[in-house]
Amino acid sequence: MKVRESIFTRRRFLNGLLGGWLGALLASLLYPVMRAIFPPEREPDQVLLSGEDYGDIPPNTVKPFAWGNKPGLLKKAETGDLIAFVGVCTHLDCNVTYLPEQRKFFCACHEGWYDENGTNIGGPPPRPLRRLRVTIEGENLVIRKEETA
Amino acid sequence: MNFRVCVKRMSERFATWLEERVGLRAVADFLKNKKVPQNKHTIWSYTGSIILLFFLIQVATGIILAFYYRPTLEEANKSVARIMTEVPLGWVIRSIHSWSATFMIAAVFVHLLSIWVIKSYRKPRELTWMSGVLLLLFTLAFGFTGYLLPWDELSLAATKVGTDIPRSIPVVGVWVTKFLRGGEDISGDTLSRFFSFHVTILPLLLLALVGVHVYLIQKLGMSLPVGADEKEEMRRAIPFWPNFVYREMVVWLILFGALVTLAVFLPPSLGKSADLMAPAPEGIKPEWYFLFLFQTLKIFPARILFTTGDTVAILLILVGGILFFFLPLIDNRPAERKGKVITWIAFAFILYAVAMSIWSLLG
Repeated sequence: MKVRESIFTRRRFLNGLLGGWLGALLASLLYPVMRAIFPPEREPDQVLLSGEDYGDIPPNTVKPFAWGNKPGLLKKAETGDLIAFVGVCTHLDCNVTYLPEQRKFFCACHEGWYDENGTNIGGPPPRPLRRLRVTIEGENLVIRKEETA
Repeated sequence: MNFRVCVKRMSERFATWLEERVGLRAVADFLKNKKVPQNKHTIWSYTGSIILLFFLIQVATGIILAFYYRPTLEEANKSVARIMTEVPLGWVIRSIHSWSATFMIAAVFVHLLSIWVIKSYRKPRELTWMSGVLLLLFTLAFGFTGYLLPWDELSLAATKVGTDIPRSIPVVGVWVTKFLRGGEDISGDTLSRFFSFHVTILPLLLLALVGVHVYLIQKLGMSLPVGADEKEEMRRAIPFWPNFVYREMVVWLILFGALVTLAVFLPPSLGKSADLMAPAPEGIKPEWYFLFLFQTLKIFPARILFTTGDTVAILLILVGGILFFFLPLIDNRPAERKGKVITWIAFAFILYAVAMSIWSLLG
């Protein structure tokens, strides 16, 4: 079938072309702005702690270290095993503290409790404390992200 | 020709010269003829200019504080301590800035709640209301970003919690948190970002929106009480200039006196410098205007059904905020109809907020 007039006028074609071009231009300008606003992830892959300072902490104590911008907590269990946590409450991100006499981790912001293994046992925290992997390599302790989770 | 006549003629010529080029007579005429209704609701029409007064005080004191404040991890707390101890009258300036923030937010709450109860958001003032709700949001954002700047233990903990809250919002939440913090965690970048929000982005947004808000108020005129006789109201109305402005000035002076008195006798404290690695201090509380939200979050259990209690609480708060924003479209009855349910919801909200705040302070 032949139509008398063009359904798609020259003006519409040009408007579409220019509009699309303007949109693309805007997106290409917005992209670097967004990149600059949202910086990349800064969590470390691993943290090296000297065995001298951290290797022989007494049992049932916790020693903090810097896990990027967050506190990490190295804990020696009664058995002598070393475990590490990200010392940040899973509720709303406040830093937790270890209370050795109660054998619990405590978050003062909204009264969240975790047992000595970091399991959430009271208050608002929805998940256990995040665990980190501790390995002894020569003189040093190496703290890494847990492979799972 | 004596000197006085000469000066008079010169100033007249200058006025004509300026008028030809700028054309401000229309604005002057408008203000000269503007009238303010006098009725049982007139008292609430003072609240708007009260907000403006405190905002101007915030701008003036804020500029002075920014001369000395340094938004870095090492220097933020120290520079505020320097303002409090070394800068001449710095402690008063900071105290006025802090108290005026409280006064401004209180005035915003009173302003919005009064308009809610007397229902002057109804047609044709829907957009005035919506711009007002956004202004409330910006005002609270001012308070929230300003709270971090002294960089003490309490302000760090409050900001950690506050910036983590959006994370519970599906899809966009994580990005909101990242945007606010400048990364996954709070760091020095968060501090400089908050400073930037507080002194550049928010003032620009607020000023632009105040422009829209005030324009709409001038265009639409003051609302009248539900069921008022329009002719009678017109007869009773008083001129904006100078009658109403002078009355406003009396209120401003009283409030300014109260502000300075409080600021001198109860200056804000400054805790020791925040440490990103230290455990959160006990008894953290946000500023008073966030207490009812803080307490709402606290009373939700850890888990509800298949999700966390916080997610539910935050989504409920978000829905409440959206309903509040769209209030004029929900209650879209004509201006002369009463709206008892809406009034009761307003009072129920006030009761809830006050009760939750008191509970939070006691608990």
